[in-house]
Amino acid sequence: MNTLHMPATERTPELLFDFAANTFSLKGESYPENIAEFYSSPVGQLKEHLTAQKGQKITFQFELPYFNSSSAKIILGLFSMLEQAAVDGNKVLITWTCEEGDDMQEMGEEFAEDLDAAKFELKFLG
Amino acid sequence: MLANEMFDLRNTLDQQGITFCYSGYMTEAILFGIGNAIKTHMEIGDADAKLAKGVFAVFVEQVQNVIRYSAEKVGKEDASELRYGILTVGTMGEKPFVACGNMIEIKDADRLRDSLTHIKGLDRDGLKALWKETLRGEVPEGSKGAGVGFIDIARHARGGIDFDFRTVDDAYVFFTLKALL
Repeated sequence: MNTLHMPATERTPELLFDFAANTFSLKGESYPENIAEFYSSPVGQLKEHLTAQKGQKITFQFELPYFNSSSAKIILGLFSMLEQAAVDGNKVLITWTCEEGDDMQEMGEEFAEDLDAAKFELKFLG
Repeated sequence: MLANEMFDLRNTLDQQGITFCYSGYMTEAILFGIGNAIKTHMEIGDADAKLAKGVFAVFVEQVQNVIRYSAEKVGKEDASELRYGILTVGTMGEKPFVACGNMIEIKDADRLRDSLTHIKGLDRDGLKALWKETLRGEVPEGSKGAGVGFIDIARHARGGIDFDFRTVDDAYVFFTLKALL
């Protein structure tokens, strides 16, 4: 599959899904006007791609200084897909970058509570 | 005369600690514009970054609630639809607040009151658990987001939330929610 790249806008994060390299990232604030319009297609493609992976090294970087509650549901869904990919025998690493002590740290840690097979790494800015 | 009227209105808001007030039809563009002004205002005032982010987060959820659910609306249910609400942002004592009000249908009032009473009664761990449970679940019927907006507001509102209802007529109730950061 190809690479999916959407530059950041004022309300949507930069989305970079490199399917060949199995590296994925979301960077920037996320409170889209229309949540489905922004996320549906890339998340659908990612799900399809992940289901077909076996024994691969997969990395997903999150760097979201702010996201609204509708985006939170998408992020939780991504964590769950990545966990499934790890259960299916891939080596999955999720990195979560934020300011130390920020609400986003707490959110990241909460999302990570559901992970078992996938590895989670917290990184601080600055 | 005209200046007196507007000055009085301005002072009334000022006396209540209100720094931002918008009453009217709300759109995503208005959310973005006022949101940026709130961010800038808090940066200029050297507000704690975490607190400023909380105010912004509550503001977004409150305004999106009006845009999606206010029962006072004009236009058809598509891009041309506009929904009415009133928003105030300010400080009470030392604490910032975000308050929002809009009409709801009378049939929705009990469900909303029950849901907010439940949320208000939860401690931080309880809110966290409900937040995740709601995110994991199916989107509730009638919801246009994740159905988690009020929980999100309560999580950010470290000074607590308050809500109230006032019957307007046979069909509508005015609903208001205030979050203290």
